[in-house]
Amino acid sequence: MNEQASAYLKANAVSAPQASWLDTRRRVAKQAFADVGFPNRRVEAWRYTDLVRQTVKTGWEPAEPVSGALTVPEGCENPFAAIRSWVLVFVNGFFRGDLSDLADLPEGVEILSLDKALASGSNFEAAFDAYGPEAVAPVISLNTACARDGAVIRLGKGVKLDRPVQLVHYTSPGKAKATHMRHIIELAEDAQMTLLETQIGWGDAYLVDRLTNITLAKGAALTHVRVEDEGESATHLSTVLGDVAAGAKYEATTLALGGHMGRLQTAIRFTGEAAHAQSDTAYLMRGHQHLDTTIIVDHAVPACTSDALAKGVLDGAATGVFQGKVIVAPHAQQSDARQMSNALLLSRDAAMNAKPELEIYADDVQCAHGSTIGEIDNDALFYLRSRGIDEETARRLLIGAFLSDVLEKIENESVRTALEERSHAWFESASDGASS
Amino acid sequence: MLEIKDLHASVDGKPILKGISLSIGEGEVHAIMGPNGSGKSTLSNVLAGREDYEITSGSIIYKGKDLTELAIEERASAGIFLAFQYPIEIPGVTTMTFLKTAVNAQRKARGEEELDAVRFLKLVRGKAKALNVSEDMLKRPLNVGFSGGEKKRAETLQMSLLEPSLAILDETDSGLDIDALKVVAEGVNALRSPTNSMLVITHYQRLLDYIVPDFVHVLAGGRIVRSGGKELALELEETGYANVNESAA
Repeated sequence: MNEQASAYLKANAVSAPQASWLDTRRRVAKQAFADVGFPNRRVEAWRYTDLVRQTVKTGWEPAEPVSGALTVPEGCENPFAAIRSWVLVFVNGFFRGDLSDLADLPEGVEILSLDKALASGSNFEAAFDAYGPEAVAPVISLNTACARDGAVIRLGKGVKLDRPVQLVHYTSPGKAKATHMRHIIELAEDAQMTLLETQIGWGDAYLVDRLTNITLAKGAALTHVRVEDEGESATHLSTVLGDVAAGAKYEATTLALGGHMGRLQTAIRFTGEAAHAQSDTAYLMRGHQHLDTTIIVDHAVPACTSDALAKGVLDGAATGVFQGKVIVAPHAQQSDARQMSNALLLSRDAAMNAKPELEIYADDVQCAHGSTIGEIDNDALFYLRSRGIDEETARRLLIGAFLSDVLEKIENESVRTALEERSHAWFESASDGASS
Repeated sequence: MLEIKDLHASVDGKPILKGISLSIGEGEVHAIMGPNGSGKSTLSNVLAGREDYEITSGSIIYKGKDLTELAIEERASAGIFLAFQYPIEIPGVTTMTFLKTAVNAQRKARGEEELDAVRFLKLVRGKAKALNVSEDMLKRPLNVGFSGGEKKRAETLQMSLLEPSLAILDETDSGLDIDALKVVAEGVNALRSPTNSMLVITHYQRLLDYIVPDFVHVLAGGRIVRSGGKELALELEETGYANVNESAA
């Protein structure tokens, strides 16, 4: 028994019954989390990101629902606001129907809050029991024990949404509050959609733990674009657990720029052949920010392809972490897995830790992984300046170019532009003195 | 236009230029020839303001101003352009974006109105066509995957857009076949005017058949050891650099 974890659960775990299948799982999850506690540096998968150090001094309490109008400070606006979408808004982890827009949903689409879905008797046992490797297990237990609300998005067979669905999360809970959310995304055979997620916060220290279960049936395709822009004192944990069936495609791009400490966890398991998963991350950190990108891809079946690219810009005394793991099962021949981490350090005090891991048990596979850590190229800087471009603009051009490998892959132009504009705003705020 | 007096410069503490004096007037084209390691590229980098090069003594006056006090980009906006021997590849920045940023940065620095996308496109298309620079090259990342000839044509395009009053061509002929050389030379010659000056740095006389200089200087051991008219280049072609050494100064 871990005292800190027990105390946390006592304050934050959901105690009121919601659904019997879930109540059972919560009891198990509470026990599991109480046994292991908050992950810390003594656990290999959490070597660089110690949640005990982050949480031990904080007496977290559950964030509460807020009603009424939401005032979003300048610079904290939803970057996808101008994109015509179906929108679900969450404030402090709770669904706000009055701020959301789910009008005119087509046939074969179910979108509602988890709380409401549970109340109407929906059962998500399969999603809750789905893939969850050891490295992310403590956070899954924590989330199962504490998450009360979230989004449920289910697309029927062959349904192709012609506009994106947005999950917009705002956190402004005041001091030492914790929010836990569970999203369930299920695409039936050949269904297609784009999911845009935004996590924005401001104010004092808070904790966000957001877990998304994604299940893609045969031939389904999900494009998932995220902006993680927490408040400067926030601890952010987001976890994507994906089961990807034969011929299905999961393509994710994340831009992370906020938060004091963040960990983006993605665990993908292929359940059918010829499936594809891509999970790219661009992150911009400064000051004492810390961002951990952990990606686990399980090639459990043959002939699947996966690609993970993380590109980080680290200024001030920021630290970046990349943990990439590829598992290829003994019979999973013709697997093709790529993982790459590139970090650009803008200051002497910035630091990057990259840890690639391969567990390959098949012989006819292609697996490539690599990591680079570098600085802005002086020759390139001289070249641009020699054409009359001032040093600051030249640096931004080069940093933008560095990130472009990630952002360029986004096909939807307005989505790509939104991410580019958000990263430009990061440079603008650098001139406020937070830079090295 | 440009007045260099007794210029000494070092790289990593090692003296490379050991007392160069050179005066370039308006509209003049000067060629600097010399063997490898004589300091030709160092001179061009010092003029462009590269930071790893330290001026230990001497002066450079450009249009009446102390050039050494200007930052790299300020020199560019003041009209100095260095055509690189090895243009740098910049993945992720398209040639078009780069050209527009550079042109507008210089216009802004000079207090001129910046060009909008439409006017800029029109300007680029005209100049690109003359230099045989394709639309495709303009859309590609700057210099990435360009052949040697394409890189030099792209440099020349930059020069013709930025219209420098002092163009420094650093071994522009290296890596070019004769046809590419002609295209580049034509572009460079188009910039010649009674007010624009040029400093052409080359190892070989060949380039000077196409860009005919008014004056030729021989650089050896970090100093100019001989100066003359365009016939000096032909003489060097005959005799080589063997007869030119520091003792000749």
